[in-house]
Amino acid sequence: MTRIHDTIQAASTALMKARDVSVFYGEKKAIDEVSIDISPDYVTAFIGPSGCGKSTFLRCFNRMNDTIPIAKVTGAIELEGENVLGDTMDVVQLRARVGMVFQKPNPFPKSIYENIAYGPKIHGLAEKKADLDAIVEKSLTRAGLWEEVKDRLDDSGTALSGGQQQRLCIARAIAVDPEVILMDEPASALDPIATAKIEELIDELSGRYAIVIVTHSMQQAARVSQRTAFFHLGKMVEYGPTSDIFTNPIEERTKDYITGRYG
Amino acid sequence: MNNMADISRPTRTPQFEARLAKRYRAERNFKLMGQGAIVFSVAVLIFLLGNMLMNGIGGFQRAELAVPFNFAESGLTGDEVSLTAPSAVQTLEMQGMAEVVHFFAEEALGTEGADQLSDQAWRDVAAALTSDPALLSQTEPVLFNLPASSDLASGLAGEGSPEMQALASKLASEGKLAENWDWGFLSRSDATSPQAVGIWGALKGSILTMIITLVLAFPIGILAALYLEEYAPKNRWTDLIEVSINNLAAVPSIIFGLLGLAVFLAVFPNLRSAPLIGGMTLALMTMPVIVISGRNAIKAVPPSIRDGALAVGASPVQVVFHHVLPLALPGMLTGTIIGMARALGETAPLLLIGMRAFVATPPTDFMSPATVLPVQIFLWSDEIDRGFVERTSAAIVILLLFLLLMNSVAIYLRNKFEKTW
Repeated sequence: MTRIHDTIQAASTALMKARDVSVFYGEKKAIDEVSIDISPDYVTAFIGPSGCGKSTFLRCFNRMNDTIPIAKVTGAIELEGENVLGDTMDVVQLRARVGMVFQKPNPFPKSIYENIAYGPKIHGLAEKKADLDAIVEKSLTRAGLWEEVKDRLDDSGTALSGGQQQRLCIARAIAVDPEVILMDEPASALDPIATAKIEELIDELSGRYAIVIVTHSMQQAARVSQRTAFFHLGKMVEYGPTSDIFTNPIEERTKDYITGRYG
Repeated sequence: MNNMADISRPTRTPQFEARLAKRYRAERNFKLMGQGAIVFSVAVLIFLLGNMLMNGIGGFQRAELAVPFNFAESGLTGDEVSLTAPSAVQTLEMQGMAEVVHFFAEEALGTEGADQLSDQAWRDVAAALTSDPALLSQTEPVLFNLPASSDLASGLAGEGSPEMQALASKLASEGKLAENWDWGFLSRSDATSPQAVGIWGALKGSILTMIITLVLAFPIGILAALYLEEYAPKNRWTDLIEVSINNLAAVPSIIFGLLGLAVFLAVFPNLRSAPLIGGMTLALMTMPVIVISGRNAIKAVPPSIRDGALAVGASPVQVVFHHVLPLALPGMLTGTIIGMARALGETAPLLLIGMRAFVATPPTDFMSPATVLPVQIFLWSDEIDRGFVERTSAAIVILLLFLLLMNSVAIYLRNKFEKTW
């Protein structure tokens, strides 16, 4: 059973609520009855050793697990009262509301402009070219990339450096104006300087979007998040304010992990 | 102590250095073998192409007799209207144009020489007249190079009967008989005499057949590949389909000919020898190649691109058409080139559906009787007349050039798609 810190306040502002979510890969249970609230008021970090199921759980929030034929998700995830996992949920609309950034930067092999404009275009968010230009500029500015690329919007997105590519991917997610942004180890393929920029960016974006970040690095979780959930072997072991988790963990396993005993 | 040092540093022993030298030697030998293989293939290719070109050059020429033709004295009548009418050649034939040409030939070449003028030689003069009716009022004799008979042509080449060789060398020394560059080879069709044959009929047949093949096989192949990779559930049925397609790609081409004969010609019995049926038969043969290469190209598109597109809310169809297809297209085109090149060179299935008929006029549409380049080559190589040997080589040169052209266009398209992405 998950230990939840007493200091946590009831999240009345929860945008997404996961309740008893389990994920099965065939017979194997990858996630075991996890419940958690996601809110724009704070950044939530999922930490835990490799293979603990934190990425799998993250991918439930925008139903990216649908692409894996053998994956089966049970339980409920609500987005403003609507069940995300239900058959009536429109997946395309869901993903426009819940954006995602992946571990490895994956810009489309198109121009920088096209990378950002793609989402708004397919959703019909811009009537005119000028509107689209405005969205591209706003998204790149928010992602802290505008100054670096404004003179070469026609260059290929894949020609950027790794850190720039990842910020491009964040800008791409922002461009469709989502409510939630899921980040799956967004800095694990980047060098420390690029990582610092991404972390700064997460800080700036929190408040506007509900951000969930999966990370390997405990320091990163400590730096960017206000809530931390510790996962181990498919179970959420402990959940609470980040400062409590790192300074005063309740569970022995959490303590062992954050002190580097395993992981 | 020394012993200890040797054991603790196994990479510094003489044995190790000997092994290292052996490893480098093996690498050098392997590189040499590879270079040898390349040199051998290039040499074979050069020999083959060189041989074809040398023989083929002869095929682009023909023995022609110089005959001055005086239109004013020919006794032929006609005006601008009748000479440009579609029936003009028949009209001229009725007026005895063949005899008139023979008469002028006798004047210039003597009886013996005139007898060796090709039976159809007058048609060249008639063609000149119908394209320029003003010639009829010409009082000066106009010099025509008219095709010689195939007997005289082989005489000129130093073959055939001694009398013919003597006649040929006599006419040649007088400057009345020569091997001339034969542009008509590119515009005429099949004929019984090597002096009168051309490649255009077969070339046009090949082009029409290839169009049908491409139009059928490319979209069907690509759609099948996309469906199988992107949509089809992985179960026993799709496994069965996959195995069937792989088997289809390995089926000998003559079997497809039998299929075309049994199925297509049973449904359209009037379309025997038509490019439409030929194209349909070759499309069956080409499609599995396109499906297999298409699936490999789709598999090579990184899943992260799909994830990225799905995550911004693209529907599965949008993911396929905006991201997967453009990235896979160069690979798909490569498969299509290979398939089409194979189809272009295919003879066996087309023989079975009747494309080996003697077709003396180029096909006018997809339904009219036609033959194709490889079949034409096969037919000519079977002819007894020596003149056909060079014509066969010339036809092979044309086939290779056509293949080269097709591949160049495809490679250009492939590079173009690769650049925009």
